Amino acid sequence: MRLTGVILARELAELRRAPLLLLSMASLPATLVGVPLVTVWYLVERVSPVALVFLEELYGLDGGAPAQVVAEAAALNWLPIFLVMPVFLPILVAAQAIGGERERHTLEPLLATPAPMVAIVLGKSLAAVVPAVLITWASAAVFVGGLDLLVYARAGVLPLPDVVWVFAVVVLAPLLALFGNTLAVLISARVSDPRAAQNLAAMSVVPLVGLLVAQLTGKVLLGLPFYLGLAAALVAVDLALIGLTVWLVDREQLLVR
Amino acid sequence: MDAVAVEGLGKRLGGAWVVEGLSFAVGRGEIFGLLGPNGAGKTTTLRLLAGLYRPDQGSATVAGERLTTTAEPPALRRAVGLLTEQPGFYERLPVRYNLVYFARLYGLPTVEAERRADALLARFHLTAKADEPFARLSRGMKQKLAIARAVLHAPPVVLLDEPTVGLDPEATREVRALIGELAAEGRAVILCTHQLAEVERLCHRAAILARRLVGIHRVNGDDGAVTLLVTLASDPSAALADVRGVDGVQAAALNGDGLGITLETAARIPELLAHLAGRGHRLTSATRARHALEEAYVALLAEARLSGVWS
Repeated sequence: MRLTGVILARELAELRRAPLLLLSMASLPATLVGVPLVTVWYLVERVSPVALVFLEELYGLDGGAPAQVVAEAAALNWLPIFLVMPVFLPILVAAQAIGGERERHTLEPLLATPAPMVAIVLGKSLAAVVPAVLITWASAAVFVGGLDLLVYARAGVLPLPDVVWVFAVVVLAPLLALFGNTLAVLISARVSDPRAAQNLAAMSVVPLVGLLVAQLTGKVLLGLPFYLGLAAALVAVDLALIGLTVWLVDREQLLVR
Repeated sequence: MDAVAVEGLGKRLGGAWVVEGLSFAVGRGEIFGLLGPNGAGKTTTLRLLAGLYRPDQGSATVAGERLTTTAEPPALRRAVGLLTEQPGFYERLPVRYNLVYFARLYGLPTVEAERRADALLARFHLTAKADEPFARLSRGMKQKLAIARAVLHAPPVVLLDEPTVGLDPEATREVRALIGELAAEGRAVILCTHQLAEVERLCHRAAILARRLVGIHRVNGDDGAVTLLVTLASDPSAALADVRGVDGVQAAALNGDGLGITLETAARIPELLAHLAGRGHRLTSATRARHALEEAYVALLAEARLSGVWS
């Protein structure tokens, strides 16, 4: 664990000195929080009764003040975005985990140390997962706060956070971040080009985007049972991916590739 | 006991033998050169000895730690300091941070890691650069820092891959002095290079590789290998056939009207000349090569090509 901490500290120190990478990590969440809040702010003032009925029917909402209906629809539909975010963000860092070291010629000196592979993989994984989870939590907090502020002033209720949101953001987001990261580290170790690793790993968000689209169209309503099932599946997939990564990533393979 | 003992070591990469049946030993305080053309297996040999590759045949003992085809060798990695061909540090991070980081990966506690990093920065005249990002160092400074990293954990064996490549003459001189100091401290140093002059300046012995070991040349010392240039009034090809297999002959090849013959020691010269005369070959001259290592290198590689070991 001590060596994992040493590697994690070095990765974070490098990240702090890479403002462009940090900016690219922060720009996506800023957009994904800002756009829906502005949209909700616009709609709560101007939404027509016909549109309200449409939203209630499409998403099975109980009704209430216009602001409340708009906010509940937004909360329901925007939750998957906070699940895409923790998958996508660590990929920006983790895809460089091995390929980046190879490009900078630091891979061989690193592998020449007695640090076990599991410590190297874990240290690099945490360096991608921790910022991604923190950024996701911060973004979710801003979104929830912003939405509540907009609605409370007009309807006197606080639509968020509810149980589904808390569970999704607190439990699912770290599991998804671990998933995206481990996949990226694994791909990074098996392909020689870090950009290819990044693009390949980024494909893992496609199923989540599909869920978002399905929910937006009202075809699927993602509730707590779905998210509980997803969490259980993710625990299994994450453990399997970590095991596979430690098994597949060995010093010789990394140097020869 | 030898600091490094290699016995029949071999490695396959991409389905082909890159190193095969390699055997040699290096003592404490010795600087041992690894010479050979590109692709001869020099870097692969260093990576095997550093525990980065698993051997596919044979074994090696490095500072008492055994490298085999199956065992994962963290203890061996602790006993070895490796200078890679590229310095390989984190460009944005400060020089001192880089050193402390690697020291901690070698298992040193933080305080000890910092103490050793500071001591090495002072020894290599890099203290003034300690807080600057690694990227701002000159090529020579980067190489000195990489050598500092190789000895951070006080390893008894140091492996150096092309330590002076790309350096200006002043930095080259400084790095050579540092390598001499490492040996003087009692470490076994294995130096992999293309530069014969560097081996002649630094090494006690040098192994010439062409996937297999084709010869070991003693660089410094009166009892070392010598290369003899012989001219003949008779057919040199016939003489070449007679010379091969004579005790003490490491390699022999045609050289103009005569032969280039590398012998284990100069003491073997009279015996060899008598052998040639006894076989009816008419010698017109016999001189010791001026650039003994270069002659030995060329002759040994020619021999390797003739015997099909190297192409």
